[in-house]
Amino acid sequence: MAEHPRRLKRSGLTMPIVTERFINNAWHRGCDFINMDLEDSVPPNLKDVARDLVRQSIPVVNKGGADAVCRINHDLMEADLNAAVWPGLMMVNYPKAEHAHEIRRMDEIITRLEAERGIRPGTIEIGANIETAVGVANAYEIVSASSRIRDFGGASGYDMSRDLGVEMFVGFDQFVYGKGEVELTARALGVEPHAAPFTPNLTGSVSDPDRAFSEADAARKCGFRIGGGLHPNVVEPQNRGFMPTDDEVADAHWVLEQYRRLSHYSDTWFQTEDSSGQSRVIDRYEAARAEELLQWRALCEERDLEKSEAITRVRAAEEST
Amino acid sequence: MAANDKIRRSWLIVPMSTPERITSAHQAGPDVIVLDLVEFVAESDKPAAREKVAESLSSAKAGGAEVFVQIEPALMLADLRAAIWPGISGVVVSRAESADQITQIEATITVLEGERGLLPGSVEMVASLETAPGNHGGFEIATASPRIWGLTLGRADLIMDLRPEPSGEIHLMQYLMQRLVTIAAAAGKTPIGAWWRHPDRGLLATPDNTLAAARRGRAIGFKGSFCVLENQVGPLNEGFTPTYAEVDSARSIQQAYTHATDSGTIAAVSHDGRILTADIARQYAKVAALSEAIASQEMFKDAAVSGRPVPVPWEVA
Repeated sequence: MAEHPRRLKRSGLTMPIVTERFINNAWHRGCDFINMDLEDSVPPNLKDVARDLVRQSIPVVNKGGADAVCRINHDLMEADLNAAVWPGLMMVNYPKAEHAHEIRRMDEIITRLEAERGIRPGTIEIGANIETAVGVANAYEIVSASSRIRDFGGASGYDMSRDLGVEMFVGFDQFVYGKGEVELTARALGVEPHAAPFTPNLTGSVSDPDRAFSEADAARKCGFRIGGGLHPNVVEPQNRGFMPTDDEVADAHWVLEQYRRLSHYSDTWFQTEDSSGQSRVIDRYEAARAEELLQWRALCEERDLEKSEAITRVRAAEEST
Repeated sequence: MAANDKIRRSWLIVPMSTPERITSAHQAGPDVIVLDLVEFVAESDKPAAREKVAESLSSAKAGGAEVFVQIEPALMLADLRAAIWPGISGVVVSRAESADQITQIEATITVLEGERGLLPGSVEMVASLETAPGNHGGFEIATASPRIWGLTLGRADLIMDLRPEPSGEIHLMQYLMQRLVTIAAAAGKTPIGAWWRHPDRGLLATPDNTLAAARRGRAIGFKGSFCVLENQVGPLNEGFTPTYAEVDSARSIQQAYTHATDSGTIAAVSHDGRILTADIARQYAKVAALSEAIASQEMFKDAAVSGRPVPVPWEVA
């Protein structure tokens, strides 16, 4: 399968596709992706209506540069895929993934729909969300089932706490084992881990911008690159939290400059002081992290420019009509 | 039950690109010196580094330390030909990723043992699970060869790019450490490592932080750890040795249990508010035995440094 360009997923809003004002207003929020939900936020009597809305909503949500994502229902997978896989869709989120055969079936259906609907083969990603104990147990087989899974994580959140029968909002990490399993699986199979360091959350607020920033900042410093949320308040803090600061960029340049000095030594590392007097180790691992930071910053800037230009274009077009 | 037959608390890595460091390395008093051909040797220096292993063995052993050589699967043949000589205790397999690799390394070691006059089966292996596939396949790796004595995470924090969390813990490490300790126990192998925290990185830390990492590591099941700097050796030896107070308490608990169950009518007794059973008393007996084994190992190393003839440590006690 051909290589596909990496899509950034720092910030995203999940919303019921049947709530027209959410869908109509999401495009200018500045998020990297918009997740149109057919699942938990849509009542059973509106599932058919919701399905009919996906195709027409894709150009609505992505006109400001956001990528369109659709979360389908675990138990209505085939009908939902048929409604969701249209040009312009980046990814299908599959909740409560539990078995490899589910993913293989999805891959077959998406492959057929891509061919029928003029979508370049392999474009549509599968987000296999681990939200149950069975999913944790089968994580390795699930990720191995399709190359459409390009990032992977989970084993926490509301559904997981419900499945395990544990409290969701506590001051300690109640999902250490499951999260460890799925992250190790992602890393072992070479897909991007979708994870974050644990931070205590006793309120469960989905709209607190300070919390959104500190979580994104901690996740980024730990090497993670994927966010998302439910409230417009968290979009800007997530974009900011996932962006390396100017000081970090300067530090990365300093590390790379120091690393070049290593060619004069017979050792593979040395210790030196940075401008703030901190003792620092310089080796190929620090250099790799510095290079990754610079590349990530460039990707973030490029993506932000892409979105702001799209939003400006749409506004200009709307004003002229 | 994990293997716990040998005292290997501190494993000091010495790059074979700088073999002159061996002299000061053995004076630091490590239980094991690891002659490194992998992690701390630049690619262009590797051929010359391999040449130096054989001639470095006697000076590496001069302080009574055992000698392991760190090799990597990708360069297995050249590394093993450089490493397998009479006098080495084993090899550390850096970046071990599969049972197949271990089987191939095992076969090559067996041939070299025969050709070079080593006792068949005498060369041990420590598998260093430093990558995600290696950790994922940890149990299969651990059980792939009877030569495997121990498992470690090596420099997984750097090789897997695991960075510090706001809490100071290194991301994913608590999970990986517990996984490794559990796999090692299930396979009857020895878990080697320490519970490092930010700013410790890649087995490098201050002496104080090394001591704390060793004590935390011992508390979750590790028996010794690798290190990079000579000043980490003392803290590792100390951190993986039961304290006097611990040994004292272990002995008194054992005596209390023996005394209380002397009549043969009860098997569980209360002591200082804690419950004691035969298994728990045996656990305390192991602490006392470990302390004695360490004392005889230290005598052996002291004698080696001062040039006195001594029996091998396991014959002292």
